[in-house]
Amino acid sequence: MRLLALESATGAVAVAVASEEGVLVELTVRAARRHLELVHPLVAEALSLAGITVAELDGVAADVGPGLFSGIRVGVSAAKALAAARGLEVAGITSLEALAHGAVAAGAEPAEVVPVVDLRRGEVAWQVGGEVGHGPVARLLEELAGRRGLLFCGDGARRYAAELSGRAGRVAGEALATPPVASLSVLGVAALCGGRGIDPVELAPLYLREADARINWTTRHDSPARRGL
Amino acid sequence: MGESSAGAAFAGRRVLALETSCDETAAAVVDDGHVVVSSVVSSQVDLHARYGGVVPEVASRAHTELIVPVVTEALAAAGLDATGRGAGPVDAVAATVGPGLVGALLVGVSAAKSYAMAWGVPFVGVNHLEGHLYASLLEDPELAYPVVVLLVSGGHTLLVRMGGPGRYAVLGRTKDDAAGEAFDKVSRYLGLGYPGGPAIDKAAERGEPDAVAFPRARLPGTFDFSFSGLKTAVVNYVRAHPEVSSEDVAASFQRAVTDALLEKTFEAAEATRAVGLCLAGGVAANSELRRRAAEKGEAAGLRVFLPSRAMCTDNAAMIASAGYFRLRSKGPTALDAGAEPSLGFNEPGSSLSRS
Ligand SMILES: [Zn+2]
Repeated sequence: MRLLALESATGAVAVAVASEEGVLVELTVRAARRHLELVHPLVAEALSLAGITVAELDGVAADVGPGLFSGIRVGVSAAKALAAARGLEVAGITSLEALAHGAVAAGAEPAEVVPVVDLRRGEVAWQVGGEVGHGPVARLLEELAGRRGLLFCGDGARRYAAELSGRAGRVAGEALATPPVASLSVLGVAALCGGRGIDPVELAPLYLREADARINWTTRHDSPARRGL
Repeated sequence: MGESSAGAAFAGRRVLALETSCDETAAAVVDDGHVVVSSVVSSQVDLHARYGGVVPEVASRAHTELIVPVVTEALAAAGLDATGRGAGPVDAVAATVGPGLVGALLVGVSAAKSYAMAWGVPFVGVNHLEGHLYASLLEDPELAYPVVVLLVSGGHTLLVRMGGPGRYAVLGRTKDDAAGEAFDKVSRYLGLGYPGGPAIDKAAERGEPDAVAFPRARLPGTFDFSFSGLKTAVVNYVRAHPEVSSEDVAASFQRAVTDALLEKTFEAAEATRAVGLCLAGGVAANSELRRRAAEKGEAAGLRVFLPSRAMCTDNAAMIASAGYFRLRSKGPTALDAGAEPSLGFNEPGSSLSRS
């Protein structure tokens, strides 16, 4: 099993190649929001460093979010098309799962890890006891009432560090600000080997929010923005 | 967009193209730049209709869901198997890189790069506006040049002289609203629905085109257009005459738009010694524009090409055609190319420079 993993749910872009033996290559660029420009060159580089061709891949994994919509769509679209073009199955891994796995791999106790992803507009998404929730950070704190010694990781934890650190626990360092692509690839291998692979058509972003229904009158180039009549 | 340094000329024949710049998810397979082997368009128009316009986030989500099934269908319709191991089913993969909605564009570009990489064939980024210029060639391979192309849609109003594939000069453009945008806004104002083009066209059938004398903006000495004044005139007229029939207003508005478009287009054809005239873009499906373009063409002794409705509106066959000619003249696009939401003519990366 040789798997390609694509991580693009935050401002960072990362690619990994992994097998049952573990991670072969991982490349991360922490540039802000250059997903479309970076994903494919990184894939080419990672495959080359792993010494395999795209034809030798057995599966693809992608971070389906929650996180940055445009980044997720670049990664999910790239993963779907690559898998469809090679007749491969895909694994959709959430950013929360990848963050939690990364924290545990770094030595944290599984029960103490709380991944928190920034959803913007004052909201975050989290995973506590296997359950995904989202809302203002105050709601997460309510849900965690009374708990101590937690490790918060993810860009949401960094953003709301002042609210989260203190009695409930502490916020993980920069290394766990974004979902580690190594974790994404290991979880992807486990999903595909465990028979949890899906058809690329079914791979879909996890938005956790209804589409913003503002109309765009400037659908294309040469029409200046104008509102209504 | 970046150009690959590989200078070898493209010798392939078969191009798969993806188009996701606005509210249509489309894929097509085209041979030799003009033979349409398959063309699939999945329109999201119903999704956006209840909002009365295109909602970017809704469009981006729908593209992400539809892009792979649409490509698979286009390949299947061409008798090709996407998942065949070994050699890829096509010689290159093209995608619209702009202009358009950025969140929509990146879905098609990302997927296209993946298909190209998976099959080991070149990727080529295409200017959507350039794609529209190939609509007539796709339906009439005997097309003689030079032609003047009137490109009119919800987002563009351009007058272009085309000397041949890859050779264009912009003659004029709208100074404010696109023609299709004026149709959408007037239709919305009259309560005729969305999209406005077909709604106005239908209402106008039962109206009198001379009922209201709306102004025709004339920008002397140029081949440019202006539609915002006309839109305002419609609103002012209806406010002052609440009893007027919507059908009469629709017919009179449509007559004013087609007058303005065709007057400049025929002037431009004469001034640039064009042998033919092509309509392109969604508004080119308008029945009055088509009928009067054909009549005026006959009177002026000019060949008029009216692509089918499916070829006027957004589709991927036109992107494949533009991609094919771009590959032959400029080579592939590097895989680090981004989306260019406001890509126009005369910009670096666009082959649409004045010639
Ligand atoms: Zn268009």
